[in-house]
Amino acid sequence: MPIDPALLPFGINLLDAPLFTEGKAHEAFRLLRRERPVPWHPGTERLNGFWSLTKYEDILHVSRHPELFISSKGIVGAGLRDDGGYVPIRPGDGGISLITMDPPRHVKMRRLVNKGFTPRAVNAMEPSIRKVTNEILDRVASRNECDFVLEIASQLPLAVICGMMGLPQDVWPLMFELTNSVLGAGDPEYQSEVPEEVRGSGEAERQTSMGGEMRMLGYFAEIIEQRRREPQDDLISILLEADVDGELLTQQDILAFCFLIILAGNETTRNAISGGLVTLCEHPEERARLQADMSLIDGAVEEILRWTSPLHHMSRVATADTEIRGQKIASGDRVIMWYPSANRDEDIFPDPYRFDITRSPNDHLAFGIGEHFCLGAGFARKEMRVMFEELFRRFPDIQTAGPPDRLRSTFINGIKHLPVTFTPAR
Amino acid sequence: MRVQINFDQCEGHGRCAITAPAVFRVDAEGYGQVAVEDVPDEERARVERAIRLCPKQAIAWVSETV
Ligand code: HEM
Ligand code: SF4
Repeated sequence: MPIDPALLPFGINLLDAPLFTEGKAHEAFRLLRRERPVPWHPGTERLNGFWSLTKYEDILHVSRHPELFISSKGIVGAGLRDDGGYVPIRPGDGGISLITMDPPRHVKMRRLVNKGFTPRAVNAMEPSIRKVTNEILDRVASRNECDFVLEIASQLPLAVICGMMGLPQDVWPLMFELTNSVLGAGDPEYQSEVPEEVRGSGEAERQTSMGGEMRMLGYFAEIIEQRRREPQDDLISILLEADVDGELLTQQDILAFCFLIILAGNETTRNAISGGLVTLCEHPEERARLQADMSLIDGAVEEILRWTSPLHHMSRVATADTEIRGQKIASGDRVIMWYPSANRDEDIFPDPYRFDITRSPNDHLAFGIGEHFCLGAGFARKEMRVMFEELFRRFPDIQTAGPPDRLRSTFINGIKHLPVTFTPAR
Repeated sequence: MRVQINFDQCEGHGRCAITAPAVFRVDAEGYGQVAVEDVPDEERARVERAIRLCPKQAIAWVSETV
């Protein structure tokens, strides 16, 4: 049932995917930041109501108080009214992953898994990231066009994350398909497993997401068993030997972590790379500046992250009555942190609507902040950097050849397809 | 005023060295280090910023009374 617009400030419905896919979200956020920075959304028949946070300072505040604003009641969207807030990143069988865990357990778990994500681990991977990037580019090099998302942007994060987990190359396409059905479940393109007549509905979204989740967990359960018998030099084998306070991780813990990592690693970096290319093509002067001096790449990566905000939001639930910007928030209320809005906040970023690859400082919140700050930020930055270095070295004239085909989602700022053209490289 | 980094919390995101390069640097491994413990007045605002923006809340003033 559609929501009565009269119940929404300025009629703005932040649960409406087209607001994002049609590029109207920034205007809406600008208005909200100025006129109603902490608006209430009444939810729908299916979904809970929630407070939206549109100001940088408020998102900082919430992220930095993980006991007052918890993650264990779900971090994606508003949550369903009828099943206690189903969380797609939580395996259905009760396991809880890092991202939906609260302190103090989160602190211990994070310290444990962080070993695979240190700056040293990221730097050690750089040569292999560069090699994989070039292999990906080799595959399209003799042509003059391709689908940038399917053939290039999605392939690097997929290779990096699957490589880290020690998954054989023949299952990478399956992983790609399953991450799409879990996190892209709201988009009819990924609902091929549900009957045609229900595609596009909330029920189709739920079935698609659950179906993908079940198949993925089944696959990981098998891999974990294999690694128990024959340990390898990969993340899963390391987790099998790791303990928290002397207790080994349970099968559920490991399953939940695998599930989280494969989603978080794939569905974000891909869009940062695709969104980055779109943005650079839309800003030819900034692009020319970068291509003339690739030492500007680190700043360009940060500005792409600020500009595109690959994740639209994360959410939290308050554990006590509190206040945000004078607005009373009751214990049990949900708040959604809108990153694209924080990243254009006039109080923080001078001239926020200008794409400037040398913007400094650039303290964007694209990776969140605080307790749950993105574990993979180092890998994501490295992948983006290497990809743009190699891409512009080999295909300096690459151009978008049509508009991006955007994912229908209020969670992921996704691009499903992007036609590009380029001069074939030798 | 003196500043310190809690090494249990620091994950080496490098924000400190970018925000207040006169006071923080990153070591060979990429972790944050305090280069100038006794923070000069003109750096105070930048250090405040680094404390606010360190993703893992690893930086703090050392209380002088201890
Ligand atoms: C540009 C790419 C990426 C973006 C924009 C991004 C964004 C985010 C954000 C906003 C959070 C915060 C969640 C919260 O506060 O509730 C997060 C958490 C997380 N990310 Fe990323 N991410 C990216 C890439 C990656 C990669 C490549 C990996 C894995 C290799 C990864 C793994 C994780 C994990 C495990 C968490 C949960 C951390 C925790 O709860 O302690 N991310 N990410
Ligand atoms: S900003 Fe914080 S986490 Fe990053 S290096 Fe400095 S102290 Fe460590």
